[in-house]
Amino acid sequence: MYATKQPSLRIKQADLECKNGCGYYGNADWEGYCSKCFRNHMDQERQKKSRQSHAEHSRAHVSGFSKFEEKKRQQTDKKNKYLKSLPVFRKSSSAKESGKPEKYIDMRQANPDADKLLAEFISSYGEWGEFVRKDFFKCVQSFTTKILSELDAKPVEDLAEIAQNYYNLYNNRVNSNPVYQAVTSEVRDELLDFFERYCMVSLYRFLFCPPSTNDEEKDLTIQDRIRKLSWVNAHHLDCCISETSIEVRDLVYTAINDLLGMDSMKAPQEKLTCVVRCCRSVVEVLQHCQGGPVSADEFLPALIFVVLKANPARLKSNILYVTRFCNDSRLMQGEAGYYFTNLCCAVSFIENLTAESLNMSEQEFQAYMSGEITCVSAWESALVACEGMHQLCEHLALLKGLSERTTVVQDGTQKLREDMQKLKDEINEKVTSVLEKTPLIIKPRKSPIPLSKEDFPILPPSPIPKVEDEPITQNEDNQNPPHNYYLQNLSMSQINLLDSTKNKLQLDITPCIKIPNTIPVQSSQSTDFLSPSPAHENKSIDSLTPDDNSYLGLSKINYEIDFSDLSADNSIAEELTTEKCKSPTPSFTTPDPFSPVGTSCNIMQSPLVPSNASLPAVIEVKPVKRDDFVLPFLENISKQTAEETLLDKLEEAPIINLPSPIKPFTSEYSGFSKQGSKIPSIPCNTGDFSSLNLSQSSLPSCSKEIID
Amino acid sequence: MASETTEAGKMANRAVAAQRPNGSTQGKICQFKLVLLGESAVGKSSLVLRFVKGQFHEYQESTIGAAFLTQTICLDDTTVKFEIWDTAGQERYHSLAPMYYRGAQAAIVVYDITNQDTFGRAKTWVKELQRQASPTIVIALAGNKQDLANKRMVEFEEAQTYADENGLLFMETSAKTAMNVNDIFLAIEV
Repeated sequence: MYATKQPSLRIKQADLECKNGCGYYGNADWEGYCSKCFRNHMDQERQKKSRQSHAEHSRAHVSGFSKFEEKKRQQTDKKNKYLKSLPVFRKSSSAKESGKPEKYIDMRQANPDADKLLAEFISSYGEWGEFVRKDFFKCVQSFTTKILSELDAKPVEDLAEIAQNYYNLYNNRVNSNPVYQAVTSEVRDELLDFFERYCMVSLYRFLFCPPSTNDEEKDLTIQDRIRKLSWVNAHHLDCCISETSIEVRDLVYTAINDLLGMDSMKAPQEKLTCVVRCCRSVVEVLQHCQGGPVSADEFLPALIFVVLKANPARLKSNILYVTRFCNDSRLMQGEAGYYFTNLCCAVSFIENLTAESLNMSEQEFQAYMSGEITCVSAWESALVACEGMHQLCEHLALLKGLSERTTVVQDGTQKLREDMQKLKDEINEKVTSVLEKTPLIIKPRKSPIPLSKEDFPILPPSPIPKVEDEPITQNEDNQNPPHNYYLQNLSMSQINLLDSTKNKLQLDITPCIKIPNTIPVQSSQSTDFLSPSPAHENKSIDSLTPDDNSYLGLSKINYEIDFSDLSADNSIAEELTTEKCKSPTPSFTTPDPFSPVGTSCNIMQSPLVPSNASLPAVIEVKPVKRDDFVLPFLENISKQTAEETLLDKLEEAPIINLPSPIKPFTSEYSGFSKQGSKIPSIPCNTGDFSSLNLSQSSLPSCSKEIID
Repeated sequence: MASETTEAGKMANRAVAAQRPNGSTQGKICQFKLVLLGESAVGKSSLVLRFVKGQFHEYQESTIGAAFLTQTICLDDTTVKFEIWDTAGQERYHSLAPMYYRGAQAAIVVYDITNQDTFGRAKTWVKELQRQASPTIVIALAGNKQDLANKRMVEFEEAQTYADENGLLFMETSAKTAMNVNDIFLAIEV
């Protein structure tokens, strides 16, 4: 309705003056009038309006409320007018103290915050003595009573001036009055702040958004304006806030909360603190978004964005309150002053926002403002669905974290699995490589089956003539080969083992059989074996005794005899033979033992099975022939089994067996003794003590036989 | 107004005078509110950062706010506390500038010597300051990005003449090489 008058606000000196032409400067808040003329003007307007009914004013606000507002303002305006027209009264009132104490008491009783501050004062500054406290409260009282006395009489701008004067007065007082002499300069500053705070908290309800002003209207106007501008987003403001980032949004929320918190504070400096906090959050947001020092070029748009999104309650009232009643020096300087200035700028920008200031065409701007175009920004959607979105985001974040952890675990498992597989492969590879390095030991040894089969045809013919021909001589003759053969087997295998060319262990067996006459060397070697043999015996016996109780006696006998053999070096050959004669007999008489042989041997080694299967046939021959003949054969088998077990061992744990060849002779031999320990287990089951004997006294006896 | 005062010494006197009525001086400490004006991207913040922190980041990697900074300088027996208020340089915020330079004792108007437009804008800033700001305000004109002199669009003489005519302190500065940065601040202070 003042549209025609407003353009006159610009530039020219004359335009700055009151529109009434009274010579004073006008003010935009007073619609271009000076304060006096504005009041007159308002009065006239009101009267007009009250006659015309309140149609225009009820447009945006509750008409009843605005009516009330108008009335109140009219009253105060009248009062002001009346008071100002009477300079005498004005002076007397500024001379203070005239029936105000009661009001002051009222105020104090009604204000619990003041009591809190009183307690705070005593706790903080009580140490500076009674006088400081008394003087402080004297000043506070003088200030508050003064303001209260003037409250209804003067416009709020005058009150603000009074307040500023009092701040200065108290400042001078603190710095010059002897009461404060002891107080340090920092505490003096604190006292000044506290003075301001105390007074303002006490007077807050009178001075904040006083009824004599139209602050509330302005609040509603700016709120409405901001609501209409809700479509403005960071992009429109050329501001780099990324609205979609969750972290940024959280920071913006913090900033908004700080800004909203301003309304709940009472003292101007507390409100300022909120503004500073808000602005620091904004700086943080910007640092997050752009990464670099935040200059005003980026800061102001961001603050405008935050103000737009926060739409704080009573924004204008708060700003005006701070502007009026905060110590001026604080607003003009310092960080708080700077940020507050920025906030004022932001509000001012929002108030005067046009299409141009958003870099868009007028049409577009109008379309936005009228709601023709609705843009749903990320921010808006977040704001609308605030709670749900927030929760959703949080849950998503949680799920993301969980899934991340799951993948980590899964990766770990996968890796472990791979590692295991790798290890397995590695081991397999090593095993195979080792097997490849030493394959000949194993593979040829598995072929004893054909060898044994070959042996069978060889053997039967040999015993047959022996049995038929002169027993003793031929025995000796025939015995020699098997014994030799046996010895050869043993010695050769050992040699092979010792010579670390184990590969041919098995192969050597066949030559042994074929070439029985190349013995001389072995005899010497066999003597070498003599020393370890006792250990052999012990082991074999130990294993034997528990195995078959029925043959215990026999075994023991054998054992004793063996010892005697050892002790009495001579005439062993005969003893041996006798022994062997003795030992086999029980085994043959009791055919059962053979079955255990099969079973026990089978467990150890499969290749033996055929040989065992063919055994009965051999055994049938055996009764006919001398026991001795059988012995070597059985011995052979047992040897084979023993060797096979060794082979098995090699196969099973090649790595363990590998080092043995490198080891010195004795250790090697102990390895053989291990092997030997297994030898008796088989014969024991078979009931063939021949093998036992051999194992026990194999080397010494045989060697002696050979010698014989 | 104030166009006749061409000597820096005279301006310095004014500056000192400006501090006193403000009431912020206490003993030998004087507070000094300084406003930075200029088109965006002429290097206002870089200039201040160089002055306050002694640092320059070509790609602005550090993480400090540059909008409001303080710097205390000891000069002879007085301690001067600079309080530097940065302003948004964009055209759309031009009208808000008076809020910033209200109560300021000094203003630095920055332009980019490689950009003629910014110099034009600087002139309007100076005009506005002379008309609207406190009459005692010290105005300094800074031609920034002197290190890019090979791309120079605004001649030194041109700017110097303008500064002399309007009673401004004038220097060409470089936030990058720190050339004249401290000098211009100190000149304002003195």
